[in-house]
Amino acid sequence: MFCGEKKLLETERRVKANDREFNEKFQYAFRHKSDNQVNNRLSEVLINGRLQSEKWMNVKAGDIIKLENNQFVAADLLLLSSSEPHGLCYIETAELDGETNLKVRHALPVTSELGADISSLAKFDGIVACEPPNNKLDKFTGDLSWKDNKYPLNNEKIILRGCVLRNTSWCFGMVIFAGPDTKLMQNSGKTTFKRTSIDRLMNTLVLWIFGFLVCMGVILAIGNSIWKHQVGDYFRAFLFQDEVGKNPIFSGFLTFWSYIIILNTVVPISLYVSVEVIRLGHSHFINWDRKMYYAKKETLAEARTTTLNEELGQIEYIFSDKTGTLTQNIMTFNKCSINGRTYGEVYDDLGRKTEINEKTKPVDFSFNPQADSKFQFYDHSLIESIKLGDPKVYEFFRLLALCHTVMPEENNEGKLIYQVQSPDEGALVTAARNFGFIFKSRTPETITVEEMGKIVTYQLLAFLDFNNIRKRMSVIVRNPEGQIKLYCKGADTILFEKLHSSNEELMTVTSDHLSEFGGEGLRTLAIAYRNLNEEYFKEWFKLLEEANRVFDKRDERVAAAYEEIERDMMLLGATAIEDKLQDGVIETITNLSLANIKIWVLTGDKQETAMNIGYSCNMLTDDMNEVFILSGHTAAEVWEELKKAKEILFGRSTGFTNGYAFCEKLQELKLGSTIEETVTGDYALIINGHSLGYALEANLQNEFLEIACICKTVICCRVTPLQKAQVVELVKKHRKAVTLAIGDGANDISMIKSAHIGVGISGQEGMQAVLASDYSFAQFRYLQRLLLVHGRWSYFRMCKFLCYFFYKNFAFTLVHFWFGFFCGFSAQTVYDQWFITLFNIVYTSLPVLAMGIFDQDVNEQNSMDYPNLYGPGQLNLLFNKRKFFICIAHGVYTSFALFFIPYGAFYNVAGEDGKHIADYQSFAVTIATSLVIVVSVQIALDTSYWTVINHVFIWGSIAVYFSILFTMHSDGIFDIFPNQFPFVGNARHSLSQKNIWLVILLTTVVSVMPVITFRFLKVVLYPTLSDQVRQLQKAQDKARPLRGHKRQPRRTSSRRSGYAFAHQEGYGELITSGKNMRVKNLHPTSGLGKTMYNSTSWIENLCKKTTDTVNSFSLDRTVKL
Amino acid sequence: MKSRKSRGLPSKMPDNTAFKQQQLPAWRPHLTPRTVLSGFFTTGAFFLGMGILLILSAKSIKEIEITYTDICSNCSKLRENASNFYKECNCSIHFIIPEKMPGNVYMYYKLHNFYQNYHQYIMSRNNRQLLGEDITNVENCAPFQRTSNGIPIVPCGAIANSMFNDTILLSYYPNSSTRINVPLLSSDITWWTDKHVKFQNPKSSNLSSAFAGTAKPPYWRKPIYQLDQENPENNGFLNSDFIVWMRAAALPTFKKLYRRIHRIQQFADGLPAGNYSFDIAYNFPVTVFKGEKGIVLSTVTWSGGKNFFLGIAYTVTGAMTWLAAFSMMAVHLKLKKKQESLQH
Repeated sequence: MFCGEKKLLETERRVKANDREFNEKFQYAFRHKSDNQVNNRLSEVLINGRLQSEKWMNVKAGDIIKLENNQFVAADLLLLSSSEPHGLCYIETAELDGETNLKVRHALPVTSELGADISSLAKFDGIVACEPPNNKLDKFTGDLSWKDNKYPLNNEKIILRGCVLRNTSWCFGMVIFAGPDTKLMQNSGKTTFKRTSIDRLMNTLVLWIFGFLVCMGVILAIGNSIWKHQVGDYFRAFLFQDEVGKNPIFSGFLTFWSYIIILNTVVPISLYVSVEVIRLGHSHFINWDRKMYYAKKETLAEARTTTLNEELGQIEYIFSDKTGTLTQNIMTFNKCSINGRTYGEVYDDLGRKTEINEKTKPVDFSFNPQADSKFQFYDHSLIESIKLGDPKVYEFFRLLALCHTVMPEENNEGKLIYQVQSPDEGALVTAARNFGFIFKSRTPETITVEEMGKIVTYQLLAFLDFNNIRKRMSVIVRNPEGQIKLYCKGADTILFEKLHSSNEELMTVTSDHLSEFGGEGLRTLAIAYRNLNEEYFKEWFKLLEEANRVFDKRDERVAAAYEEIERDMMLLGATAIEDKLQDGVIETITNLSLANIKIWVLTGDKQETAMNIGYSCNMLTDDMNEVFILSGHTAAEVWEELKKAKEILFGRSTGFTNGYAFCEKLQELKLGSTIEETVTGDYALIINGHSLGYALEANLQNEFLEIACICKTVICCRVTPLQKAQVVELVKKHRKAVTLAIGDGANDISMIKSAHIGVGISGQEGMQAVLASDYSFAQFRYLQRLLLVHGRWSYFRMCKFLCYFFYKNFAFTLVHFWFGFFCGFSAQTVYDQWFITLFNIVYTSLPVLAMGIFDQDVNEQNSMDYPNLYGPGQLNLLFNKRKFFICIAHGVYTSFALFFIPYGAFYNVAGEDGKHIADYQSFAVTIATSLVIVVSVQIALDTSYWTVINHVFIWGSIAVYFSILFTMHSDGIFDIFPNQFPFVGNARHSLSQKNIWLVILLTTVVSVMPVITFRFLKVVLYPTLSDQVRQLQKAQDKARPLRGHKRQPRRTSSRRSGYAFAHQEGYGELITSGKNMRVKNLHPTSGLGKTMYNSTSWIENLCKKTTDTVNSFSLDRTVKL
Repeated sequence: MKSRKSRGLPSKMPDNTAFKQQQLPAWRPHLTPRTVLSGFFTTGAFFLGMGILLILSAKSIKEIEITYTDICSNCSKLRENASNFYKECNCSIHFIIPEKMPGNVYMYYKLHNFYQNYHQYIMSRNNRQLLGEDITNVENCAPFQRTSNGIPIVPCGAIANSMFNDTILLSYYPNSSTRINVPLLSSDITWWTDKHVKFQNPKSSNLSSAFAGTAKPPYWRKPIYQLDQENPENNGFLNSDFIVWMRAAALPTFKKLYRRIHRIQQFADGLPAGNYSFDIAYNFPVTVFKGEKGIVLSTVTWSGGKNFFLGIAYTVTGAMTWLAAFSMMAVHLKLKKKQESLQH
């Protein structure tokens, strides 16, 4: 309570650096045990003027902490200083928003001067005043007061928890928000206690059973009153001397409670325990599954919650993150088109296109000592073209080596490595490097490239930066020969308009190739160059400088200048980068879709990137009738777009376009009819984060949901973590569907928590998603197995278990009810007390547990091969109220047979030796034995997968029953406890009578025969898919044919642009200003210099020289700027 | 995996055991038409056969049942009044056995509407006392634990108190003037375990002294040690009638074995047809609780006494099984034909 009040009061946060007393009010306690793994991570904190390792949980607001490269950020920090010049630092935000490119943060100049000087950092006592804790990841407002000055702060100076520091060896930051106040935690939503729908149903049913129990009690109590009145009073002479219980109504009241106690076995208390045991077993099977073990990272699949297993068999919606979940976060240069020829396809000996697999031989780059060994390319023709010296190919790779924002660096082993801010560029530059165009170093004014072993230094004349409107970037360079060239790469749609008219033919060929690449979901960039003459360039440069000088509409004028020079370009070709999907993603998605599970992709990434992944996963195809894209910026726009989409959907499918029919449709939908079936064709919906914000508002959410649910594929891009959760909640609430969320990053926590089932991708650095998840494994493809095999089995087993359990308890208990009518409603039990005690625990618990844990209707292979088998779980067919009543009816019928057959047989009968056998004890033993045999036969019928364990348990239970029976009816035990075991000799006597065995046999057959008949007819007349597959499986087992079930995912070419480029504006400026280049790197004995030093070529010395001179110049310029 | 191994750690990879991988070899039974139909036809045939056999053998049983509540109505009336407790009342019933009752013939008394299965009644006994170890132990015997003077009742409890105490004699009239008492045996009418394990007399040379300091149940005419003074083997707790009574019946209508016909002289082959009479010392009141009592003479067969229920139930079940089998076969064949025609 106190904590909450404090939160409410906080309207502005004031944090003072290095002053824990001042910041005391922000202290908090960690409550969640599950966070331990994260809370115990270490971070270096400046305490009392020294750096100390502290657990994350002990990091408090106002502390100054040191971060090192590739470390996770522990709290929301104000960046103070870093190892990079100008207080820059790079962070990867994939955990937060799913974007793969690096982001730059820079410290205030005043604080960046603090550097790594511990003593001055310890003295730093600035006060940050800022907004209270909130969940907005992209906004921060506040200011820093230090030394009587106020400095405004914005998001550029803040590093959020969940980011990873990259390309920066260290940085210092001041904690502003810690622990639960961090924006990440504010976004992660509340932890709710998850329960499965079966759990809820079970609770309802148990309540019903209670009601039923009370009803039975009332009926028997009334019966008792009547009996007392009519018969009992006269009979009482034999019973009572006293007058207690004379009043029939009082007697009825007592009887009611007696019967409540006797019949309480109908409310299965052991049910809850057994259910948990079964779930635990299923969880262990998940943990033990070798097919969900990822050897590369030694990661097991893990069921972190043991109470949700059967819900895995009922999933209707999957919400998946993209980055790190569907994709590996690795970009590879996969294909390219150079001068009208594609490279990258692999053909077999017969000239057919083949899939690249492990056997395909990659191109050998050993000729190139500086090649990146991780880079693999399979088309040998490209290397041949290079060896032949095709000038276009040379130009192509030269462009790739020149036109980018990559920074070269050298690692400890002296190897050249690239610091990339976007993985696409990394892939392109690495490809160029392997094909012999090695980007070696850059200064603000030059770019040095080793071209087929020859060092060439280009003068960088201009850098036309990338942004999301231009969708392209260019460099203008002068080569050593003095030629000026413009190299441009960008979106094909934009670039093709800027080409010289002579390119028409090449353009058509290339655009065909681009379509092909796009259809495969590859991220494409078109590539072009332009030769410029000296005068034209000088003129243009003047124009640019002019544009740069003015303040009014500067950006537009610069853009116009860029536009001016980026024209009449000559097309070189196109690149295709694969945003590498995790293994088996396509098959998994195809299979899950076949299982009628809808997959929605929710990502923080850009629309293009998300769509590309959509295509590469076959979630989007060109066969789709329509792909709706919602990207409105206002509620009205979104509404308009939704309306349009709706018209297309319903207009086409029904032919009704008038408003009336439309309204009717809507109403139908609200009534829950399955309108989806009336809409034919495949549709997809892509929605942007800002539009989603409006679509999730109360007035639009129904429409949005309606359309989204009709669409086969839904992709939400640029969504915040909280929106992810909102989408999940929306579907959960309005569709009553079981949802599953899967993700790897911290941004997925909220949706993982709010979905019925949360799955975390484990084995990666960040643990956040896994910690919040219910299940975790290393690869997305395991989801298929988790749902289609484990989930389906769990659901199947649980349902069978419940059906049987209710049946068994009713069959067992209701016998007392029938007996009540023949014993004066006196609450006399039919069975021996010991039998009642042991029945549920010893005689019948294990076989049903074995079934609940081991049963399989179809084997795992067929579960995967026939995804339709998953359907019954989604429709809740195997256990619902109807099934429950059938089970109950079955139980009642069995109890009826169990009681009345012995009743008829015992009525007025004598034993074969003439002695009477119709005594109570023989009656009890006969019914009990029949019951044990009937329920054992029933479980034997229900068990469809008889392992050794099932055999042992079923036969064992019967054996144990008889041995306990004979023990308890033995002389020895009677001699010791004559009052506790009054059944002495009973088993021996009763079970030696043929008569009794005939009764038992009759009871068994009468109880079981209708069940077999019913089941047989059901299988013959209305076979379920499961039945059919079982039959097929039987045939398979006999024949054992080789299975060739692997589906080939079909891909078609598309007519859309596959352009996608993860890049951020501003890097061009960083490069041309030299801000991001380290002074020490330029020293000949370190960094770049070393690579050059090792070479013997004369040109390198020259290069070094120019580097030095140019760099000093550039530094001057920077200062000037 | 390699790295773990190289570090000398065991791999985290789960064991490849059939159990953990859910690959245990298993039998997958399936309801195939062949198994189900053949099973049903066999079961049906067996049940039908058994049913007919049971009916036939039940029919072969000779049984005579005489309800004497009304016949001895004056005695019944007398017993309705508790004050006539010590008054004797005898009743004689003449009847004819039309056919010879061959073999072992058993004589039962039958009570109707007597709730021996009533909870408070059935619980009201103490097995430890009946074992003769601790005869003053009257635990659980409410409401017949002690007399008003506090003397423990032996045998205590409602069951013992309400013991059936009519004596029945059977006489045979080979001709109108001769009357022969049919020899009746009271031995071997109890379960062996009851007589030898469950019921034991206190260890003492003299039974009456063993039971000293105890009271007889209020409804009894004589104490436990006088139940059969002629045969000490049949006295006290070991009295067969007592033991039989103490084995409470399951249902409110029941019959209990009273005597066996001793197969000697002209009764060596059973009871010959002819005139008979029961001489009953009418002690047990039944009309107070609207009950009835009767005597049954019956032979037995391999399946016990006369009861048509099992036979009929077996026949009906057998018939139903066949019916089900035929209808299943019809459905199966029809569908098979349909499938074949579809394939063509």
